Amino acid sequence: MAVRAAWTSGLGSGVSEVWRYRQLLLSLAGRDFRVRYRQSWLGVGWALLLPVAMLLVLTLVFSGTVALTAPDGRRVPYALFAAAALVPWTYFSSSLSGCVNSLVANRNLVTKVYFPREVFPFSCVAGSLLDFGIAAVALLGVMGYYAARGGWSFSPDAALLAVPLLVVMQTALTAGLGMMLAMANLFYRDVRHVTGVALQLLLFVSAVIVPLPTGGSALGRLMAWNPLVSLMNSYRACLLFGQVPDAADCAYVAVTAALALTIGWTVFRRASMRFAECI
Amino acid sequence: MPSVGMNDVAVSFDRVSKRFRLGETHRSLRDLEALEGVSFSVARGEALGVIGPNGAGKSTVLKLLAGILRPDRGGIRVVGRVAPLIEVGAGFHGDLSGRENIFLNGAILGMSRAEIRGKLDAIVNFAGLERFLDTPVKRYSSGMYARLGFSIAAHVDPDVLLVDEVLSVGDAVFRIRCLERMRRLIEGGTTLIFVTHQLEQMQTICRRAMVLDGGRKSFEGPAREAVGHYTAAMSRAWRCRSTDVIESASAGTPEAELLALRVVDAQGAPIVETPARRPFRVDLRLRLSRPVPRLVVELNMRATPEENLLSCNSGRAGRYFNVPEGIHDISLRLSGLPVRGGQYFWNLRLWDAQRSTTLLDTPFGFPLMIDDEGRAAGTLCVDHEWQFAGRVTAELSGFEPVTPAQATAPPRPAPASDREPQAAIRPDQSYEALSLR
Repeated sequence: MAVRAAWTSGLGSGVSEVWRYRQLLLSLAGRDFRVRYRQSWLGVGWALLLPVAMLLVLTLVFSGTVALTAPDGRRVPYALFAAAALVPWTYFSSSLSGCVNSLVANRNLVTKVYFPREVFPFSCVAGSLLDFGIAAVALLGVMGYYAARGGWSFSPDAALLAVPLLVVMQTALTAGLGMMLAMANLFYRDVRHVTGVALQLLLFVSAVIVPLPTGGSALGRLMAWNPLVSLMNSYRACLLFGQVPDAADCAYVAVTAALALTIGWTVFRRASMRFAECI
Repeated sequence: MPSVGMNDVAVSFDRVSKRFRLGETHRSLRDLEALEGVSFSVARGEALGVIGPNGAGKSTVLKLLAGILRPDRGGIRVVGRVAPLIEVGAGFHGDLSGRENIFLNGAILGMSRAEIRGKLDAIVNFAGLERFLDTPVKRYSSGMYARLGFSIAAHVDPDVLLVDEVLSVGDAVFRIRCLERMRRLIEGGTTLIFVTHQLEQMQTICRRAMVLDGGRKSFEGPAREAVGHYTAAMSRAWRCRSTDVIESASAGTPEAELLALRVVDAQGAPIVETPARRPFRVDLRLRLSRPVPRLVVELNMRATPEENLLSCNSGRAGRYFNVPEGIHDISLRLSGLPVRGGQYFWNLRLWDAQRSTTLLDTPFGFPLMIDDEGRAAGTLCVDHEWQFAGRVTAELSGFEPVTPAQATAPPRPAPASDREPQAAIRPDQSYEALSLR
């Protein structure tokens, strides 16, 4: 029998509380997922169709203008180049745009029921992870198309095993950032708008739809600090080139993700006691 | 190590204070002391009523108990699983079906999927929503919504159930079932904290109650005494306000004005206090700025702000006054009022039946003290007499149960009666008859 005597704010208690409420987390993620595709004719098909449509648009715009070569010197079809990063990017950006609103949109729950508040941003990330899983099928489809057409060849090898690790690191990074954004937006609603703009900008500087400028320019060096660049490079290495991702890239992503998660969660927990009265 | 006595305490508040910042952002400087040094404790399986005027801090107590808010000062101890019913169906999503919402809301209240699956039938049955289980709740009526919300929370099997004024929604049949369910939970060892403005309802559930006023505990004790304390405090607050009532009334409307209202005894002497059940008269002096050929006068009397105890309407009694322009006296003669002692308040409404317009509707004021010499405890105070009727041998002779066919219907009240017919509640009435419109 639980006795609640004091309000705990530590990270450790956060982890155990969220674990206790894991079913709620999944229920909320399921709710968001189901509601997203409810009362629509295509339903969950949208989760598959949207990334494909986005990819088609990008391919139409960029395929002639961007020249891409693999490490072994082969030309990379643009659609492949984009798809390998676009699918994880969509997971990242849809998670964050969901997270930033997650507390404010669930205001009636925040002020009427108690459960660990982390559940809100986490469930957003989990919901987007479901979409990500479906979009990954689309990615496989694109890869299969190019393999069948003969424009590219894949050799499934051990490098693919690194993909789940990348997804875990990305999820940790997203959850950490998501908690900070959700919390900040609760106090200052400006954060939601800023997040929208920032995600637009990030799309262009994270090597998602266009590669980083090469040739050691100052801008290129600056952009290389973006952990998402390392993340996208790692995804491409595994998925397109059959290589184990660069250790430095992976380490950088891992460190950033761990920092974001620890700092984000600690700050979030400390502030969460005031959520109900400040929302 | 808690002492043996502490093991029976389910909820305790120790000098808890909570302050809110008013204003849009949290940096606003105006503060509100929502609770100041409130202490109480509730034993396991006990039901505590919390009553008080709006803004007294009742909901804050529940939110602190639920862990939604953190106290600024003081200690709070809650033992076991808490089910907060601060708003029914908080967390329902309109696009999800009743079934999906049961699982979602159950998870919100801390139930596992397996647990919810096991209780699904009971929840649905209790809410009476079998036919609408797969309908999105956005198509539910507000009553169905409330029923489902309460039903889920009532099936959490909580150690501590927090209920905040949720039973004012839903129909009378459902309210009765909710009270039954709450009573059964208490019998099963659940601790209940019940915040409500329905004082009668509270007394049927809670033996003990606490009165909050302006963030402080002003009384704690037996529920009946708490209600007495609260209504007396409310009357005092009302009395303070009633000094300005005449002014606001005499401001009136351009068409009608109440110049004076006084209560006089049988000899015509003005009074402010009368014994219960002694006849008296209410004299009104009105000024009309135009002739009203069909004037309806209505006097209402209340003890609390919620409900008329008495409503005398001249139109319903068949009297329409043909009143020319100018100042007039109208009086209402009343047989003695069989009510409990206390303070009662009047309100006057004037209605132009020809044009169907309200000419005047004063606030409640004009206090009248009724003295019952402290004999009545219920709402009514009527003549009664106890008798010892002798010893009998057979258990039921002369007491055979009466079947409905044998029972004769009571005579209908005369049309001149001031009473509105009450909606009848049949115990067998099911929700099938009350389904979606």
